[in-house]
Amino acid sequence: MASFVPTSADTLEEQRLYTSARMVDVQCLDCLARVRAKKNSEHHTSIQWNADAVAACPELGRRDGSSDSRDGHRGCPRLLASIDAAVRDGNLPVGAEDGY
Amino acid sequence: MSDYPQNCNVFYMSDTRMLDQGTTPIRFARGWHCLGLASTFADGKPHAIHGFGTKLVVWQDSKGELNVLDGFCRHMGGDLTQGEVKGDHIACPFHDWRWGGDGKCKEIPYARRVPLRARTQRYETAIVNGQLMIWNDPEGSAADRDILPPELPDVLTDKYTPWSWHTREINGSHCRELIDNVADMAHFYYVHFAFPTSFRNIFEGHTATQFMESTGRPDKSGGYSDASSTLKSEATYYGPAYMINWLTVDYKGFVTEVILINCHIPTGPNSFTLQYGISVQKPEGLDQKTVDYIAERYTESFGDGFLQDVHIWENKVAVQNPLLCEEDGPVYQLRRWYEQFYTDAAEVKPEMTDRFEFEVDTTKANEYWHAEVAENLAKRAAEESVSH
Ligand code: FES
Ligand SMILES: [Fe+2]
Repeated sequence: MASFVPTSADTLEEQRLYTSARMVDVQCLDCLARVRAKKNSEHHTSIQWNADAVAACPELGRRDGSSDSRDGHRGCPRLLASIDAAVRDGNLPVGAEDGY
Repeated sequence: MSDYPQNCNVFYMSDTRMLDQGTTPIRFARGWHCLGLASTFADGKPHAIHGFGTKLVVWQDSKGELNVLDGFCRHMGGDLTQGEVKGDHIACPFHDWRWGGDGKCKEIPYARRVPLRARTQRYETAIVNGQLMIWNDPEGSAADRDILPPELPDVLTDKYTPWSWHTREINGSHCRELIDNVADMAHFYYVHFAFPTSFRNIFEGHTATQFMESTGRPDKSGGYSDASSTLKSEATYYGPAYMINWLTVDYKGFVTEVILINCHIPTGPNSFTLQYGISVQKPEGLDQKTVDYIAERYTESFGDGFLQDVHIWENKVAVQNPLLCEEDGPVYQLRRWYEQFYTDAAEVKPEMTDRFEFEVDTTKANEYWHAEVAENLAKRAAEESVSH
C-alpha cells in the first residue's frame, strides 16, 4: 500500500533520477561485493548496497550485529579504495548531471 | 496519471516547476515510539497522551509496570484518562468498567458478567533509557523487541546529568518533515547557523544515520552558532520516531559529551508531538553548580536548535518532488527508507532497507559560506565604526 502518494507522474521519474540514474557497478577489489556507485564530484560518493553485497563484505560482516552497537556506522575502507580505483581507471565518471 | 487541470498550462510556461504536495498517509508508522520519561507516569494516576489519531491512557499498576491503552472506553466511549486507577486497573469515569493493561475488561462492578468481546486496543511497552516506549503497528503485529533502541550505558548513572526533557506540539506538518533533517546538509548553515564541514549518511535496515562535523558561524547568535565550538555529531534513528544523537562538543579545547534524544509521536495526519531530552556527561573535577550550569547551557542551545526547525516546519508546505542540487543530501533515498514504516510488513521492498551510503561534498558550499560570513562581519564592523 503506497502511503506518501505523489499526485504527478513526473515525481516518479524524479525519484528514479535521484535514486538510480548514473549509478555504475563497482566490484570490490578485495571481496565478492558488487555495489552501485556514483560520484557527482571528487568528495561526493553515493553507494547502493544490496543484501548479497553486504553478505560478501568481510568488513561489514565483522560488525557486531546487536542493535545496541554503533559498529554498523563504519563503512568498508576496502570498498572505498575500490571506488577510488574505479575512478582512476576511468570506470566511474566524476561529475553531476542536473543536480543528480 | 497527471491530475493537474490541463488549463493550468495556459498560465504557466511549460518549464515552470510545480510543487507536488502529494497526499499524506492515513496510517501511522509501524515501530517503537517514545511517550516520555517513565518517571512522569509513575504516580498512580492516569495520564493522557495524544497519539496515533487518538488519546492514549498511561498508568502504573501495583507491580510498578506501566500500561498503555486507547484512552476511550469500549463501553460507551468514556474518557479513561479522566478515570481512576483502582488496584491494577484503569476505571472509567462514566460507568466504572475496569480495564487491565492487557486490554481486557476485568470487571464491571454492576454486571453479572463481562462480555467476552470486551477487549480494547493495548500497546506493548518497554522501558529504554528511563523512557517509556510503545509499539505501534496498524497491522497489529507483536512488538519486535530486537529493534528497540539501544540502552545508553552511562546515562542515568552519576556520570551523566539526568534527562532534561521537553515536549512541543507541532501542528500543520507531517512528521516526515522532521525526518528529512537527517539528509539536509545546507539547513545547518541557514537554520542552525553552523558550517557543516563534513556530512555523511548511512541508511540500513530500520536505522538511518547522519554523521556531521560543524563549526559555529561567527556572524550569528543562538542555535549552534558559536565560532569557538566545533561539533562532532552522530545521529541515528532507530525506527521511524526515535533518534539518539551522540554529540562531542569541543569548546576552546574543553570537550564535552552530550546525548540528545529526539523523538516524536504522530498525533494526526498533519501534526505530531516532538519530545527531546538532553543528558550531559559531567566533566570531571567541577563542582555540581558548574556542572548544572554547563548542562543548562547545552540544553538551551540544542533546544533553540529544535525551535529553529519548528518555525520552518510550521510554515512550509509538503513536497513530494524536492528539487535537489549537487550539494544536497540523499533526501529521496531517506524517504525511501522511511517508507518501510508505512508499508505492510509483507510488502517492504529490499531497496527500502538495503544499505545505502552517501557522502555530501561540502567543499564548495563552505567556500561560498565563508565568503558570505566574512562579508557579514565586515558590514557589521563598518556599521559599528559609524555608530561610534
Ligand atoms: S463508557 Fe466507560 S464505563 Fe461506560
Ligand atoms: Fe534541523
